[in-house]
Amino acid sequence: MTLVDFTSLMVSALLLAGIYAVMSVGMTVIYGVMKIVNLAHAGFMMLGAYLALELFERFQIDPILAAFLTFPVMFLLGGAVHWVLVRRLPHADEPTLPSLLLMFGLWLVLQNLGYLIWGNTDRSIFTPRTLSVVNVGPIAISTLRLVVFIAALVCLGLLEAWLHYTWFGRSVRALIQNRYAALITGVHEDRTAGIAFGLGIGFAGLAGGLLGSLYSFDPDFGRAFLIRAFVIIVLGGLDSISGVAIGALVLALVETFSIIFVPAGYQLAISFALLALVLIVLPGGIASLLAKARRLA
Amino acid sequence: MNHLSPTLLRIQNLEVCYGPVQVLWGVSLSVNQGQVACLIGSNGAGKTTTLNAVAGMLKAKAGKIFLKEEELTAQPPRERVKRRITLVPEGRQLWPKMSVEENLLMGAFSPGFRKNADANLARVYEMFPRLKERRTQLAGTLSGGEQQMCAIGRGLMPDPELLMLDEPTLGLAPKAVDEIFEFVRNIRSQGVTVLLVAQNVNYALEFSEYAYLIETGKITLEGPSAVLLSNQYVQEAYLGSA
Ligand SMILES: Nc1ncnc2c1ncn2[C@@H]1O[C@H](COP(=O)(O)OP(=O)(O)OP(=O)(O)O)[C@@H](O)[C@H]1O
Ligand SMILES: [Mg+2]
Repeated sequence: MTLVDFTSLMVSALLLAGIYAVMSVGMTVIYGVMKIVNLAHAGFMMLGAYLALELFERFQIDPILAAFLTFPVMFLLGGAVHWVLVRRLPHADEPTLPSLLLMFGLWLVLQNLGYLIWGNTDRSIFTPRTLSVVNVGPIAISTLRLVVFIAALVCLGLLEAWLHYTWFGRSVRALIQNRYAALITGVHEDRTAGIAFGLGIGFAGLAGGLLGSLYSFDPDFGRAFLIRAFVIIVLGGLDSISGVAIGALVLALVETFSIIFVPAGYQLAISFALLALVLIVLPGGIASLLAKARRLA
Repeated sequence: MNHLSPTLLRIQNLEVCYGPVQVLWGVSLSVNQGQVACLIGSNGAGKTTTLNAVAGMLKAKAGKIFLKEEELTAQPPRERVKRRITLVPEGRQLWPKMSVEENLLMGAFSPGFRKNADANLARVYEMFPRLKERRTQLAGTLSGGEQQMCAIGRGLMPDPELLMLDEPTLGLAPKAVDEIFEFVRNIRSQGVTVLLVAQNVNYALEFSEYAYLIETGKITLEGPSAVLLSNQYVQEAYLGSA
């Protein structure tokens, strides 16, 4: 492999990692606050993709802008789903069977709603930008992927800033780190959880919208990405954004460089293999590895 | 009961259960404004349960809780915080991956407290200079005594009317214990009413004006602390003197 090949693979991996991180961060926020594994995440990503498509086709809104516009819509939808359904789950400190079943059922409902509204043909969002590239020296970078990457970074940065520098964001972290302490300092758990759920779904929609301009999709869209999100979360730990970023980067690197050894069609198998490997070898994720290294140092 | 100043907190026949197991069997106590009252008793007597019930973290099966004349029994924890009842819980319960300053600020989370947060933060830093030095450090990396200071500081952020301290000296070295009690004295001198739970019965009785003894979920003895200190039963059972 030449240096140019290597560099361009690195760049692809990095660009991929950005969108993977946005895709996983919604699940992380929901898990952190409510200890619910959002199996319906894929369904909401699918909705986000179709929503961006509708905005693009009906109103000629730029697909990237459209993806951003799906955020508030999906946020409200998430808040409503929390208020109507999720709120009724009994509080638990770890995922429970009822919560898994509820979210799985919700996914099936969303998926079938998708078939009902949009049918089962493959759709895609195609703009002049889809095939354009920018050349940085000898390396050609897809403009679209670059834009998506920047959009992803902006979103993650905003979320991180919100979590650290606002009263409400701090209370979300407080609820994640120590629920009892959050309650005795006056955090309104239901309201905070509702907003966190809305955020998680908003990010699912946004990720769906962004991915929808990169790949074609149908109502089953998101399934393959859900598994990737699991890998990322298991790698990075379930409760921190920096963990998600690291997990996303690792998965993107592995997937990108695996192209050298295995056909592209097997990429999902690589995610599965990585998931199994991590669960067996490194159940605490990368954080546990770092902690071990620190103890040895 | 002593009637010198108006009653701030009044608990009436409080009964609390954990699932099917009843732990409090009709606890009644009151704390007067500006007073330091203490609740003493052996392990498992129900002290922490009582404080958690006052904070709203546990539901009352029966009985009532009043702050001044207002009944709080059915209110969620956040409503009690709003009325400036704060709990410095057993085991400190900080947010380990948040900085000292963030931990303190969360004490003023309730919207009504935010505009005074900066002033109260300065006040807490003045009281605990060591927290100021470590304001950006993660709370999980503080020493035990510092963590306790941080927990007390968090409890002071809303300008509490009633500060409840649950075993603030548990697991601390003798020097840190002295320090913490010095802080309690200081807080009290600022007019904050304190309800103290302490394992160190000797200290607790010396630092408080009024005391309640709780045994298996019932108040079995109460009176001015000086009286309890010289009570023969208390001396034999809790102070280890013959
Ligand atoms: N979460 C819980 N579930 C079930 N039982 C509990 C729970 N918490 C406390 N108990 C029981 O309630 C009783 C009173 O406990 P509590 O924590 O109030 O005691 P305490 O007086 O604070 O004791 P200590 O001095 O050890 O802190 C104990 O018998 C304890 O086993
Ligand atoms: Mg206790």
